[in-house]
Amino acid sequence: MATGTPGDPACRIASRSDAGELSTAIREATDAAVRSVGTTGASALEPLLLVSRDGTTAFFAECTAAGATDVVSRLDDGGLPEGEADAVVDHDEQPGGLPVPPLSPLDLGTRSVLSPCGWVRPTVPEDYRSAGGFATLSTDASDLREAARAVPGRGWGDASADEPVGETWDGVAAAGGDPAVVVNAHGSPGDALVLESAPFLALEGALAAARAVGAGDVVVYLVATADLARERVETAVEELPDEGRSGIDVRVHTGPDEHRAAEPTMALEAIEGNHRLEARLRPPAPDTEGLHGRPTLIHTPRTLAQVVRAAGGASPTRLVTVRGDGGDARGDGGAVRGDEEATIELPEGASLSVAGDAVDAGGSVKAACVGGQFGGLTPDLDIAASADDLAAAGLGTDGVVDLLGEDRCVVAYVGEKARYGKAENCGRCVPCREGSTQLTALLREVYDGSFRRGDVEELLRVMRSTSVCAFGSHMTRPVATALEHFEAEFAAHADGRCPAGACPELPREVAA
Amino acid sequence: MSSEQAGDAPALTEDIRPGTASDPDVGADAEGTVTVDGRAVTVGAGATVLDAIEAAATEASVPALCSYGDEDLIGPRSECRTCVVETDAHGLVPACSYPAEDGLTVRTDAERASEARDVNLDLVLSNHNLRCTTCGKNGRCELQDAAIENDVEEPRYGVLDDRDAYEPLDDSSPFIQIDRNKCILCNRCVEACNDVQVEGVLRLEGSGEDTRIGFQNDAETMEDSTCVSCGHCVTVCPTGSLVEKGLEDVATIQLPGFTQKNSIGKTLESSGQERRLMTPMKRGEGESEDTSTESMTDGGDDRLDENSDDDWLDENSNSGWPDGGGSDA
Repeated sequence: MATGTPGDPACRIASRSDAGELSTAIREATDAAVRSVGTTGASALEPLLLVSRDGTTAFFAECTAAGATDVVSRLDDGGLPEGEADAVVDHDEQPGGLPVPPLSPLDLGTRSVLSPCGWVRPTVPEDYRSAGGFATLSTDASDLREAARAVPGRGWGDASADEPVGETWDGVAAAGGDPAVVVNAHGSPGDALVLESAPFLALEGALAAARAVGAGDVVVYLVATADLARERVETAVEELPDEGRSGIDVRVHTGPDEHRAAEPTMALEAIEGNHRLEARLRPPAPDTEGLHGRPTLIHTPRTLAQVVRAAGGASPTRLVTVRGDGGDARGDGGAVRGDEEATIELPEGASLSVAGDAVDAGGSVKAACVGGQFGGLTPDLDIAASADDLAAAGLGTDGVVDLLGEDRCVVAYVGEKARYGKAENCGRCVPCREGSTQLTALLREVYDGSFRRGDVEELLRVMRSTSVCAFGSHMTRPVATALEHFEAEFAAHADGRCPAGACPELPREVAA
Repeated sequence: MSSEQAGDAPALTEDIRPGTASDPDVGADAEGTVTVDGRAVTVGAGATVLDAIEAAATEASVPALCSYGDEDLIGPRSECRTCVVETDAHGLVPACSYPAEDGLTVRTDAERASEARDVNLDLVLSNHNLRCTTCGKNGRCELQDAAIENDVEEPRYGVLDDRDAYEPLDDSSPFIQIDRNKCILCNRCVEACNDVQVEGVLRLEGSGEDTRIGFQNDAETMEDSTCVSCGHCVTVCPTGSLVEKGLEDVATIQLPGFTQKNSIGKTLESSGQERRLMTPMKRGEGESEDTSTESMTDGGDDRLDENSDDDWLDENSNSGWPDGGGSDA
C-alpha cells in the first residue's frame, strides 16, 4: 500500500541517481518504511525526501543525509516535521500518484503521465497497481485502438510522430500477418524518464499496443549507455504480472549512443543486429514491412503512456524536458549544458511559455531551441504545444526545450548543429550527407564575409523535402528558424562582428 | 557459424555483411494507371514511378543517377535523389523508389522538383573528383552524362578539387582499380558483389562524410580483400570509381605527363607478394590465418558496442564552431 497503515509514516526518496547513502542514513534513523522511487522530473529539487503520514506529505528538497536524519528522527514523536519542509500537501489517504506540492517546477503544467514518477517504486508492480496501473490489461483490443485514435505519436523516434497512432493500429490489426511492437526509448530524455520512474507504464502501453494489433512480441529498445533505464525496465519485465503478458514475449535490446540510432528504421536495423546503421527507404513504412519484414509498430514510451491514459479517459498531454543554458557560449559549452534540467508535462495545446519557468536559466533568455538536437529557434515561447502550431513556427515536437542565454551566438549555435549533422548522419542519402557538408560550408563562409541567404534557403528546402529520413529534414530547422528570427546576427558576422561577443575570431559588436 | 564452413565452401549469405539497410519492397502492390505530365500510362505490379515515367515516354526525363535498371537484385538505392518528381497525393517523391500507385498524378517539371533534382545533382558533384580528362570513364560516365544533359556548367557547390583531401588510388589489385574520389556511393557494386555474386567482399562502411566503400574482411586494399576478380562491380559502376586494370587510362585525353595516377597523387600499390590462390576465403583450412572469420561471426550487441564509442562527444567538446577539427575557417 502506498502510505502504509494510518498513523505509520512512510518516507520516499526521489532521485535520478542511486541514493543509496541517503537511503541508508534514513533507514538507520527511523523504523518507518523507506522507499527509493524514481525521479519526479524536477532534478534540481532532488534528492527529494517525501515524508507522508495520515494524508499529508511533507517535501524536503535537495536533501542531505544529515538533514534527512534530522527530519526522520523526529517522526517517532508523531506528526510530521512540517516546520522545516519546503512544502506540505494534504491529500487522500491513498493518493493515486505524487501529491503535487506548491514547489516549482513540480507545480507547473499537469501531472498525468508523470503522476507515478517519484511516487511509486519503479519496479514494484503492487505500487504501480495501487496508483491505478494495469487498468488496460483487461481492455478490449478494439477499445484500445479506439483510445489510440486520440493519441498523436510523441518524439522523432516514433514511427507515427505527430500523427494519430490509432490509424496505424487499425491498419496493422486489419492486415493480419505476424506483427511486432518496438518500444523506442532511445531518442529523448522524456522517454528515459518514463522507463526510469514508471517502467510499468511504458510496458502496459506496449502490451496494449501488442494486444490491439495481435502482436506476439515486444522489443524495448534503448541507448546502450542508459544504465538506469535499462536496469529498471529489465527488472520490470521480469516483474510483469502474468495476467498482463497474455503470452506476449517482451525483451530488451540496446543500440549505440548516437543520435541517429533513434530513428525508427535505424532502430530496426540495430535490433536486427546490423553492425552499421543507416535509414531504410519508405514507403512502405515499418507498419507494413518492419522488424525482419514483419508489420511493426514503433512507438516511444511517451506515446504508449498516452495510450494508457487515453484508455482511462484522460486528454493528451506532452512531456517537455527543459534545459537551462549551463555552459559558456562556445567551446565546451555543448558538453556541460543541461546541468539544470526539468521535465514537466503540459496539456496538449497549452502555451510553451511555462517551460521557461521550469529551470533557472541563469540570466535572461534570448531564445529557445524547441525540439531537441535539431529543434527550431524561437525568441518567444508563447506558442501552443500542438503538432500544428509547433510545425507552423518551424519548431520540433521532440519534447525538449533548450533555453539560450543572452551571451549565446545564434550563428555559432546553429553552425555547431550543422556540423553535428555533417558528422553524425548515417551517410546514406545525398541531401543529408552532402547537404550537411555544404550547409556547414555556407555557414562558415558567413565568417569570411559572404552571407548568401538565398543559397542557404535553397539548400534547406531540398534537404527538408528529399532526405530519406527525419534526420536530414529536421537538421534544417535550426538554421531555417535562425534565419527567420536572427538574420541581423548573420549580417553582423558577415560584417566581421559577433553581437553576442561569443565568437573569438570576430570582435564584439560595439554598442551604437 | 562461419568457422564451421568447409574450406572450399562458398560464403554463406548470412555471413555477408554489406553494412546496408534491409529496405522494404518499394514497388506498387498492383497494376495501376499513373498520369505522367498529362499522359496516362498503365504499369504492372512492382512498378515504381520511374518505371511509369519511362513507360510514358514523354520528353520528360530525370537523371535518376544511382538507379540501375539492368538487374532486379541491384537497387533501388535511392541515395542521390536526382529523380525527385512532384505528385499530387504525396508531394515530392523519389521516382526510383516510390510505388506507381493507381491514380497517381506525376509532374516532372514542377518547380520544386526541378530545384531538388538540380541541387542534389550538384551535391553529388560537390564530392566528386571532376578530373574527367584523366579518367578512364571519360565519355562513358553516367555522372558526366547526367551533368551534360542537365546543362550543368558550374556546379553551385564546386567539385572535389582539393588534392590534400583525396583518398589514395587503390591500384593494388591486378584486375580492378578503385578511385574513391569519384565514388557517388550508389551502392551498385556492393549489391553486385553481395546480392548477385554472393561473394561478400565489398561493403559500405563509415557514416557521415566518412562513408565509403570498403571490404568486409577489414582489408585496407583490394589486394588484401577476398575479391575473386569477377569484375561485376566494375560493370555496374556509374563513374570511374571502379575500372578494369589496363583500361584505367583508356579514355583519358592524351596530355603528356598527365595520368589517372598522378592526377590523384597518392597510390596504394601491390605489396608484390605472390598469392597462391585468388582469395583467402577459398583457401583450405590451415593454409592461412582467416582474418575474415572473426569479424563475420557472432551476433548481438558486441558489434554495436564497438560502434558506440563516445569519440564524437570528445570531438565535439574539443573543437568549437567554426574552426573545429583543424579546418580552414
